[in-house]
Amino acid sequence: MSRRHFACSSYYQSSLTRRDMLRVGGLGMLGLTMPKLLQAAEKTVRKTIAPKAKSVIFLFQWGGPSHIDMFDMKPDAPREIRGPYKGISTSADGIQICEHLPNVAKIMDKVTLVRSVHHTMKNHNSAGYYALTGHSPIVDDQRLRDSLDLYPSYSSVVDHLAPNTGEIPTSISYPHVIADGSATPGQRASFLGKKHDPLLILEDPNDSNFKLPQLSLPEGLSYERLTARRGLQQLIDSQSRLLETSAEARGLDDYYHRALSMLDSTKLREAFDLSQEPQVVREAYGRSTYGQSCLLARRLVESGTKFVTAYYSRSIGGQSKTSGGWDTHGFNNTRMFPIIEDYHLPITDLTLPTLLNDLEDRGLLDSTLVVWMGEFGRTPKINSNVSRDHWPQCYTALLAGGGIKGGYVHGASDKEGAYPADKPVKPDDIAATIFYLLGIDPKTEVHDVGNRPIPISAGEPIMNIIS
Amino acid sequence: MPPRMHLPALCWLLVTGSLRGESAPVSFYNEVMPVISKAGCNLGTCHGNANGKASFKLSLRGQDPNDDHMALTRDFFGRRIQPNDPDKSLLLLKATTDVAHEGGKRFGQDDEAYRTLRNWIAQGAPKDPDRARLQQLEVTPLEQVIVQPMDRVALKATAHFSDGSRDVTSLAVYEPSNTLVEVTADGLVSSTQAGETTVMVRFLDQQVPVRLAFVEARPDFVWQEAPEHNLVDTHVFAKLRNLRLNPSGLAKNTAFVRRVYLDLIGRIPNGEEAKTFVQSAEANKRATLIDTLLEHPEFADFWALKWGDLLKNEEKALDRRGVARFHRWIRQSLLDNMPMDQFAYEILSARGSTYQNPQANFYRTNRTPVKRAETTAQVFLGTRLQCAQCHNHPFDRWSQDDYYDWTTLFARIDYKILENKRRDQNDKNEFIGEQVVFVKTKGEVNNPRRKMDAVPRFLGGDRLPDDADRLDALAQWVTSPENPRFAPVQVNRIWFHLMGRGLVDPVDDFRATNLASHPELLDELTKAFIDSGFDLRHMIRLIMNSRTYQLSSEPNQTNAHDEINYAYQQVRRLTAEQLVDSLSTAAKIPVAFNGYPLGTRAVQISGVRAIKTRTQKLSPGDRFLNSFGKPPRLMPSETERSNASTMGQAFELMTGPLITEILDSDENRIALLENGPLQTQEKIEDLYWSSLSRAPTDAEYAPLMKYLEADPGPSRQRLQDILWGLLNAKEFALRY
Repeated sequence: MSRRHFACSSYYQSSLTRRDMLRVGGLGMLGLTMPKLLQAAEKTVRKTIAPKAKSVIFLFQWGGPSHIDMFDMKPDAPREIRGPYKGISTSADGIQICEHLPNVAKIMDKVTLVRSVHHTMKNHNSAGYYALTGHSPIVDDQRLRDSLDLYPSYSSVVDHLAPNTGEIPTSISYPHVIADGSATPGQRASFLGKKHDPLLILEDPNDSNFKLPQLSLPEGLSYERLTARRGLQQLIDSQSRLLETSAEARGLDDYYHRALSMLDSTKLREAFDLSQEPQVVREAYGRSTYGQSCLLARRLVESGTKFVTAYYSRSIGGQSKTSGGWDTHGFNNTRMFPIIEDYHLPITDLTLPTLLNDLEDRGLLDSTLVVWMGEFGRTPKINSNVSRDHWPQCYTALLAGGGIKGGYVHGASDKEGAYPADKPVKPDDIAATIFYLLGIDPKTEVHDVGNRPIPISAGEPIMNIIS
Repeated sequence: MPPRMHLPALCWLLVTGSLRGESAPVSFYNEVMPVISKAGCNLGTCHGNANGKASFKLSLRGQDPNDDHMALTRDFFGRRIQPNDPDKSLLLLKATTDVAHEGGKRFGQDDEAYRTLRNWIAQGAPKDPDRARLQQLEVTPLEQVIVQPMDRVALKATAHFSDGSRDVTSLAVYEPSNTLVEVTADGLVSSTQAGETTVMVRFLDQQVPVRLAFVEARPDFVWQEAPEHNLVDTHVFAKLRNLRLNPSGLAKNTAFVRRVYLDLIGRIPNGEEAKTFVQSAEANKRATLIDTLLEHPEFADFWALKWGDLLKNEEKALDRRGVARFHRWIRQSLLDNMPMDQFAYEILSARGSTYQNPQANFYRTNRTPVKRAETTAQVFLGTRLQCAQCHNHPFDRWSQDDYYDWTTLFARIDYKILENKRRDQNDKNEFIGEQVVFVKTKGEVNNPRRKMDAVPRFLGGDRLPDDADRLDALAQWVTSPENPRFAPVQVNRIWFHLMGRGLVDPVDDFRATNLASHPELLDELTKAFIDSGFDLRHMIRLIMNSRTYQLSSEPNQTNAHDEINYAYQQVRRLTAEQLVDSLSTAAKIPVAFNGYPLGTRAVQISGVRAIKTRTQKLSPGDRFLNSFGKPPRLMPSETERSNASTMGQAFELMTGPLITEILDSDENRIALLENGPLQTQEKIEDLYWSSLSRAPTDAEYAPLMKYLEADPGPSRQRLQDILWGLLNAKEFALRY
């Protein structure tokens, strides 16, 4: 919600003549200057939006990465806030990031940092749902249950409003269903209907046998035999008039047809066949589940997938150097900084630059929006376990490609990284930005479970970060 | 002014003040408010939005004129109106887009709306609290069938005020329920195609629905008399005749037997059952079959599943033991044919240990007054109250006060949690262990609109008697034969399960602006239901013995576009449990569900998730059920279950783990056939009767025989392929 005074909003939209302005009391009284008014008057109603991005890669950093230790360094803050790391210069003028992200530092000229993201959901499931849908839950429920009155994931909205035609699915999510005690809402289509669920893959892209299960036939069943079976089905179907008289029957048969094409198609199968990548490329992303997930994201975008969601981990983690997410509280005698230094930061430093460079080398970066963010940041004040806890009140999101400015910072946190000091941004606005860049009007209405018309995003696109 | 004017005209001009530039006093409540509604300013998409638009907020659809007066005259430093120069009021400049307005042009300077507002502003924008009150909005016609080439009908609206009546045809708001028709500002409804619609006519705080049907001319339409079995047919056929639609013919016995088994016991008939019925020569075999299946224990299983969905019988809130007991009680009630009013009464008045008194699980799963109130209204009164929590319901008669006064009836329910052995201490939604539901002696909910305690009052009804036990009184009021919603809602649900669509649709969305497609039929069925003692089986029998229920699912020339008037049975996909149980029946092999003994059918599953997925994987049968839309039981509504088809489902049936397991099993029907004495032709017939409840057609025999005999080796693979074809046929997955 804008911080402008409520009474002034309609002025921002009115095209008052100079005479009018004088009549209503002059410029000074409302704190407006002429240029601002004229600027506001030029704002027109958006009807159709030219898309800047063809695809989105959403890299969800489950668990909550620390903004102060990565992208929003506070070298002048006291030690108990700034933490043990120093900032280093990057390829972007005036932007410093953590010394443990030297390769990320080299690609900062390709990204925008939004340092003023904020909300009030302190729990993983409630905040995670917010991050994945752009809508705040009503209650900050730690075990928010995934019911039909919650909103759909971005990926499902895109499948609903701007689906792919053809054999490549619009939205694909992998390699986990994330959970914190219970499955996190916001990963599926909810009231939009199951057919808009993203294609979900729970196999490990780092596994040598990795392939899409739907595309593999059960043992003993060849494609030829399946075709023969389909022939029998069609013989039987031709005996009833269902296909002629029932839209339901035709719809179902259409899915069979598409499923068989997918099975027969090489395009999708190849997109998932990571063994086609040269070893050196696979090594460059790192032979971890998340690393190969990033590589898979690039391949899926290449094959035409519109919305790819890659989850960093299944669990919120934070207590292990080998697996799990970013939730480093320092529980169970663990300590945050050794863990992130040995695990989270190196993985990020390996995967993010590799992905962005890879996309750019293939000419895909301009048409692919990459979003790197978690559900919240971490507490500015280091806790008694020399670690940080949840902090939704201010954190950083990173966006790149797909029309986003390079080497740019939008918004700022205060001197402790605790609250937005400039241009606060809500996850609703990030949602609106994603839709906008894909050419989908964020005010487009869908009908929720009570048949109430609601816009897909209640936020505003951050026009400032779009080039 | 011309020098010589007609004297009376001059006087008249003086009297009306036109000469002086003044006008008759404009009523804020009765003239300005309708203009604002008519211009669309206060819709939810515009300034009636919860957040307003561009900081201008009006009450939704003009339900709060006093607040609106404030917004118009005082807010925004009073800059929206200019009494000393009315034409320069921002209100008017925006509405005519003299100044940029995202909402577009609402009216022009020459329009009556402009004049009304302008004159009101010129008069100083007063309120008139002593204005005449609207007593009734009368609209004609209330319903009409319009036959082509006629393509329009003119509505007329009359407002009866306490001081007289006025024609408000051009002032009322007209809202059609679909895009079939267009309505002019003066109430002329026109359509370009055949179909039905409801036009809501609104003026001030009243609304009247008008039902219209635009029907093709069909000059050579001849109504084909069809025998009426009972009152259902009388009403359905009467409407079809009016709409110039002929019902389709009766369904064949092969279709009928399959349909009835699916609708009553949740699975297809096995080969023996199907053949016996189809080949029987008994005269009344259809009625007999219905009676027989109603007495089958599987009937109680299948219909207990439906109530389990509605009552949200799931493990997280109720734990496995609670789920099993609740399910057992529901099932037993159905076996005993407990009257539905008693069923509801026991649930609504329940308290005590949820293990000892399983009915109390209803309150265990609905743990706040709001949840209890909304769920009770939705499940038992078919009323979706949710909208009224934050504002007066936009589509129904409920005000916020109604909402909170009803909610407070549920305010004193509380829980003694004897133990909670949930593993996850952070999960406030999980309860593992016994709880006691009890009623406190004090406490009400706060009505945020009045900022005081709500007053316990039945929904749209009287205050709670002072010394009444709340739950007993509530249960009594809900289930009383006089309650206008309880009985019709139960009837509507039964109709929905058998006919695929409620007479009121959605099935739990009864409101003034959502009329039944056949109101008289609903009334008569309701009366029959009450007279029978709220007898579920009686109502099922009545509906299923009608000709309407027994119609074929094939449309004919006249009725192909009809989807809501029952000219033919609508084709729909089997539900998840029906599909799994039918696969199991056809292949003669049980399907395993984790946490239940093998042999348990899908319709018998008492809850949602019997096992913890962190410790045990889901079986292929469990996964299949999820994929096909088995609901998680988080919402007290049939609409939570999704029967829509998806790509994932096609994959499941084609190559998924369950279908593979079923086909590959060494103990299934194929194994029996392989090792049995039947000839090739008989084997094929056996597969057909077992899966599609019919014999192969002539056109199917030859190719299938050829297919089977093409391979001289054991027939197992070939039989599997044929069975695959049958289980993937549209006839299998669809109820028709």
